[in-house]
Amino acid sequence: MSTRTVFGVIIMLLVFAQAGYAGAKNEIQKYFNDTALKVETTDDPTEKREILNESLQNMTSALEKVRSMPFISKEDQNGIDYLNELLQEKHNELTGSNGFTRVPDAQLNAFSVYVVQSMEQASRTVTLSLTTLLLIIIIVILLA
Amino acid sequence: MRILHTITFKPTTQPYPVFLRYIGCVAFVLFLYSCSTVPQTQLKTQQDDDPIDYSLVFLIHGDGDYLYHDTGGFANKADEKALQRAQRVAEQNPQAEVFIFHQKPRKHTLFFFPRRDGKLYYYRNGRLLAEEKYRRNQGDSRFDPEVQLYHRFRAKEHPRPVTMFLYFGHDIPEFDGRGYDASYRNEIFTVDDLAGGLRRFTGESGAFDLVVLSTCFNGTPHSIGTLSPYAQTIIASPDDLHLSYLDLKPFERLETGLRDGDTEAFAKNFAQHAFNRLTEYIHTSVAITVYNVDRVQEYVHAVDSAYNKTLTLLEELNPGFPDYIDCGDDSAYTFDGMSDGVKVFYRPPRFGRLQNKQSHSGWGCPVRPE
Repeated sequence: MSTRTVFGVIIMLLVFAQAGYAGAKNEIQKYFNDTALKVETTDDPTEKREILNESLQNMTSALEKVRSMPFISKEDQNGIDYLNELLQEKHNELTGSNGFTRVPDAQLNAFSVYVVQSMEQASRTVTLSLTTLLLIIIIVILLA
Repeated sequence: MRILHTITFKPTTQPYPVFLRYIGCVAFVLFLYSCSTVPQTQLKTQQDDDPIDYSLVFLIHGDGDYLYHDTGGFANKADEKALQRAQRVAEQNPQAEVFIFHQKPRKHTLFFFPRRDGKLYYYRNGRLLAEEKYRRNQGDSRFDPEVQLYHRFRAKEHPRPVTMFLYFGHDIPEFDGRGYDASYRNEIFTVDDLAGGLRRFTGESGAFDLVVLSTCFNGTPHSIGTLSPYAQTIIASPDDLHLSYLDLKPFERLETGLRDGDTEAFAKNFAQHAFNRLTEYIHTSVAITVYNVDRVQEYVHAVDSAYNKTLTLLEELNPGFPDYIDCGDDSAYTFDGMSDGVKVFYRPPRFGRLQNKQSHSGWGCPVRPE
């Protein structure tokens, strides 16, 4: 991890702390929105699928890492489990596993927007503490 | 040397207490300002001779997480978009009076002095006649400030106009209700509080002709039943509703859309329009229902016992936000006549487990705890 990345993370932390809870939640929504924009600007379906796959996996890994931290509350763990379940479903659908039909190449743009809209709706129903949200964001940034 | 010391010492110490005094004065003025009551706005013009055929109340909740991204990837604040659209409706209706209440996050001046977190825009005959900021957390019940402002401004001399109430926000909880407002985490807001607000808005005139809930998951037997005494027709979603909300275009030029005075027909046209608009760019499910309040009472009463049992269990388990399903998919909530008085506009999500679900009963119910 470069000094520049660490410095960037510290600056972002300060910014999020100022923006507060809503700011941190928005940052997670922005993550999926950025993925959708990347998918849309890519022509090759294989590449589109890779972008989506990586995005979902990075977020899943970040959620799992944060969930395993000793100081995460039971309530936050439940919220993380719920988000993970949603992401897993999206991943299954993308890859066509666990009973899902694989998303056709021609629908990958629409699917990426579906992920954005679906996660925006989910973020409203899941309550995570600010600390947990910040940790998720930091780890996602570091994994990217 | 001693004299010199006195001379040089004085100028450096005296400004300090003076400066502190200034700071104290500024703080005191800000304190008084933050405690002050709102000066009453006078209407810019009196136009009591112009006809008022329609009276609309918009209540836009913005004190929470209301960010969404449109299909172009641009971030939008749902409450601010809703405010713009409501203002457009107000400007486009020369025969209406329109109240727009915008409930905003609480902010502070210099970290300590709370600023006003509500704003009323009052339009009459297409013109903005008053803007007034107010404090939301004043009074015994949730909508006290809004109800007071409504009764202060409304055009009283006119025969009863067609009345409509439109709410924009997250789903209004059916139990618990804590945490709805980001600025007042311990304040409680449930659908019962909304019903209380509607009762005081309408006063002796009875019920609103139309109530529109631009929220998720309030198209439930419990919510519709609770609001029934204060509405003749209700539009709500039994499922998730995207934060871009229901498109208000049909509310512009009500004298055309409501020419024949049939509010229920107008409600169905509006719901159809909003549904068409949402399905153009939303890939999650879209469900909008129009409820004829009189005709749905039989189902609301039939399902009441099973529904309340679930709510009681959920309150005990405290799961946070409950999951909702189509009431028609659970036999405990399914009764003959559940489709009476409902007009459903439904399209399943384009992806996910429910993408092949072809129809919806128009009623949402919480998943029963095992």
